[in-house]
Amino acid sequence: MTTLLRDLVNGIWKENPVFRLVLGMCSTLAITTQAKNAIGMGLAVTFVLVCSNVLISAMRSVIPDKVRLACFIVIVATFVTIVDLVMAGFFFELHKAMGIFIPLIVVNCIILGRAEAFASKNPILNSFLDGIGMGIGYTLAILIVGCIRELLGSGSVFGISVFGPRYIPFLLAVLPPGAFIALGLLLGFMNKVNKKLAM
Amino acid sequence: MLKIILMIISTVLVNNFVLAKFLGICPFLGVSRKTETAVGMGMSVVFVVTLATAMTWLVQTLVLNRFDIQYMQTIVFILVIAGLVQFVEMVLQKTSPGLHQALGIYLPLITTNCVVLGVAVLAVQNEYTFVESLIYSVGASVGFALALVLFAGLRERLALAEIPESLEGTAIALVTTGLLALAFMGFAGLVK
Amino acid sequence: MRDILELVLVLSIICLVAALSLAKVYDITKEPIALQKRLARLQTINAVLPPHDNEPDKNTVQVSLDAQGNEGGKVAARTADGSRTKTGAVLVYRGLKGDHVSGVAFEMKSLGFGGEVGVMIGLDPNGIIRGIEITSMNETPGLGARVAEPAFKQQFQGKSLNVTHFKVKKDGGDFDQVTGATITPRAVVQAVKNGLEFYQKHKESIIQ
Repeated sequence: MTTLLRDLVNGIWKENPVFRLVLGMCSTLAITTQAKNAIGMGLAVTFVLVCSNVLISAMRSVIPDKVRLACFIVIVATFVTIVDLVMAGFFFELHKAMGIFIPLIVVNCIILGRAEAFASKNPILNSFLDGIGMGIGYTLAILIVGCIRELLGSGSVFGISVFGPRYIPFLLAVLPPGAFIALGLLLGFMNKVNKKLAM
Repeated sequence: MLKIILMIISTVLVNNFVLAKFLGICPFLGVSRKTETAVGMGMSVVFVVTLATAMTWLVQTLVLNRFDIQYMQTIVFILVIAGLVQFVEMVLQKTSPGLHQALGIYLPLITTNCVVLGVAVLAVQNEYTFVESLIYSVGASVGFALALVLFAGLRERLALAEIPESLEGTAIALVTTGLLALAFMGFAGLVK
Repeated sequence: MRDILELVLVLSIICLVAALSLAKVYDITKEPIALQKRLARLQTINAVLPPHDNEPDKNTVQVSLDAQGNEGGKVAARTADGSRTKTGAVLVYRGLKGDHVSGVAFEMKSLGFGGEVGVMIGLDPNGIIRGIEITSMNETPGLGARVAEPAFKQQFQGKSLNVTHFKVKKDGGDFDQVTGATITPRAVVQAVKNGLEFYQKHKESIIQ
């Protein structure tokens, strides 16, 4: 029982995919101009992650070792395409905002990384929980970055203006350089917190 | 001719794939500690991206569009790329073991490099012709390689500098990338 | 030998199942996707057209361009489902009131700061601008991208070829550029000018 709980919570803090494992960088930087987009991406990635973790775990004894990467990729790509199609049909605005980063979920290192490191070696329920935990961790991480960037760069959070109309936006925050710097500083801050907690 | 030059300038400098488009960050952060490995990785990326874009373009035009199964794009493209990387690795092993040794783990990593899939998808999305796609892919991957090598140089310097402990490693790397990206923003407007 | 066969078999089965499931999902989502694209397009068109009582994308005219169709900008057009018309043709959406044409809308493109800027132009039958919308652009947020703000777009309302000087104020024309960004507004003004000239040239075949 504790193992299950541990697998779930692992991805949220201790092995947070963005802040500790430094995976999924591309989408973290690109999608976080608005908090709303971050949630959309987080949900999409979590969905693909959980589905592929479960399926790969279920098939782990059947998939031959030599072609395992190719099999993982096909499975992940299938779920990504499903997400792509469903979003285009029912969440058009979000789909447009996320653009090319939806198909790029396929090469999001988090998903393939978990498939290789966990799902292919663990039972289904554990893999399911690991997927959920990692997904939550990822979503929380990009949500934080998204809120910060949106707050600084547009003066709002989730579209709700916080500083009022006379706020002069810190434009850099929503431009590429700002993304890198924001994430870098955030990571540094997380490191500091982690050190304090370890003491 | 002018159009070609403009496209190259645009993809290498103005819309640099790493610093402006956020593609290829994982290998960018992972491989850039030494300039030599950066150069090697950069060259293999240029090679793989150009070849991959050429092949995926053909597949899109001759198969996906012909049979109206564009929704298979993600799966087909990534399989083509994975196969191509596998093939390149085998060829390198036979023809140039030294290079294969040097690149070692990086080659399989190129499969999950967003730049490869990203360029392939964008070239088709922008509806470029075959030749335009080739130029686009060369420009994009050269841009990646350029950013990678520049960054490796910076990182070698960083390793010798005094940095606050919490910022060491990826954190300071990201901040530095941001400054590099800021510098590259100065290229905007070159193409007008 | 048996090993390779097993590898190929497993991979093939996985691919087959994947392809089949995707085909099914595609089937289910095909219409919602087409609908969404159409709604998005209609929203842009309706924003720039004069009052009308039809669905403009059901009443269109495709105008082929001759070699002199356009100066200083490229022309491209997309049909209601997003696919391209043949190059060198412009798809004009017509708004009807009863039997006669109350307005037309079409998209013009021109080169901006970060690539092509697409502008949907809405005119009344006399060639007076009813409104513009930006359909696509890759401009800098907070600077060039501000051409999508109402303040900039509203400048174009009521203007027409004979009366207005189609350049930004910096170049001696009538249009305010955005502070700190000249290239994007220039591109938009150029696209609108191209559009007006296009309309003037092909008015008869469009209004019919």
